[in-house]
Amino acid sequence: MKGFIYVTIVVSLVPIQSVLLPHVTLWGVKPDLGFVAVCLIGLIAGEFDGLLVGLAIGWALSLFSAQDVISGAVLKGAVGFLAGLAGRQVVYLSPVVLVLGLLAISCLAGVVAPFALKLNSQQDLWWAVWTVVLPQACLDAMIGGAIYWLMWSRLNVEQLMSESRM
Amino acid sequence: MRMVNLRVSYNARRVALVLAAVFVLSFLLLPGQLQSVFQNIGGPFGWILSWPLQGVAGIHDRIAGVWGRYVSLQGVEEDNRQLRRELELLKEQNAQLRESSAATERLATLLEFKKQALPNLVAAQVIGRDTGNWYKTIILNKGTSDGLQPDQGVITPAGVVGRIVKTTSSTAVVLLVTDPNNAIAGLIQRTRDEGIVEGTTQGQARLKYIPLLSSARPGDRVVTSGLVEGFPRGLAIGTITRIDKEEEALFQSAELTPEVDPNRVEEVLVIQSSVVPTEKERFSIPKTRP
Repeated sequence: MKGFIYVTIVVSLVPIQSVLLPHVTLWGVKPDLGFVAVCLIGLIAGEFDGLLVGLAIGWALSLFSAQDVISGAVLKGAVGFLAGLAGRQVVYLSPVVLVLGLLAISCLAGVVAPFALKLNSQQDLWWAVWTVVLPQACLDAMIGGAIYWLMWSRLNVEQLMSESRM
Repeated sequence: MRMVNLRVSYNARRVALVLAAVFVLSFLLLPGQLQSVFQNIGGPFGWILSWPLQGVAGIHDRIAGVWGRYVSLQGVEEDNRQLRRELELLKEQNAQLRESSAATERLATLLEFKKQALPNLVAAQVIGRDTGNWYKTIILNKGTSDGLQPDQGVITPAGVVGRIVKTTSSTAVVLLVTDPNNAIAGLIQRTRDEGIVEGTTQGQARLKYIPLLSSARPGDRVVTSGLVEGFPRGLAIGTITRIDKEEEALFQSAELTPEVDPNRVEEVLVIQSSVVPTEKERFSIPKTRP
């Protein structure tokens, strides 16, 4: 069942991210649903799942982008792994805290990305932060917060997370 | 409240840690090798992923078609009038160009110029955009099974769109001419000065390395020079809007408005083969008839 959920997420993310999301942009920047999914999976299901699903999502998305396959997979895998580790350290996670956490991690991953991707000299760090990283982090945090709030109100997320720390 | 157990054992966590460490180490030590391995493995995986992608793109196109045909018809009459005016103008220009073409052909025959081979073109549809925010790309509905390969040029009848950078068996990713990471050899049509066309972060393009003595000016058209693989000579890239000349710089550069608006492109043509002149062919003096 878990595997099926993960495969469905990986397969559905590609068309959503490349066909539908270009219509939902903030200053020309679209949210990274792959990042949001990896964070939530890592947080709820642990670092192992976060890592594997992160690698798979990063790989799948980079096959349909000019981004190189390895850096895409490694970045998402690392985010999933870190989210899993962070999930083990918290007892209670409200949607507001999650939004702030997503904002911070998205900014961090966004700042690392230009170095990992070896972009053109025009795309320096300052440009990256103001035109891509910050708008994308805001969108990621909003969407992640909304999904978590939905899960929080429908599933017993705290119990789910506390069981994992045993 | 429903409860789903998604957690794994402590051993699995240790496996994850080791796996992560191995992966990061191999990424740092063998980036090139891993890249090609992952790209090759990704072929069939990409083929499977292209099914939902093409399905969603098809539904999206139908909805967009219905919207375009029946809902957003405001301003069509004015557009129609303007297009008719442009058509008249283009008809006149076409007649002049036919004359020039005939004259060029006569002169070329006299000088025994080698005819530029017409490239093989494959039509493809745009089914998506880049999955991330770092690159400006489009995704085509054709891939290696249709003969598409990385580094092939992509055009529309209006001009250059970009270059293929990645393929799966049924899709291809095209890096647009407006992406700063793209570089195409260009030529100013009037002055014959060569340079490199690069995208800008503002979504325009820039012709770099124009000689300082060039008389290029706004309004000049820039076309492909045909010196690199992928594009034959003479395909429109854009029109110069501004010349930038810095003091003590070795070259000048020019800002271009691309001929093709990459955000609106729906169908493209992929150049499967084009003849690139060798150094010898480029610099040899054509034989004249006695």
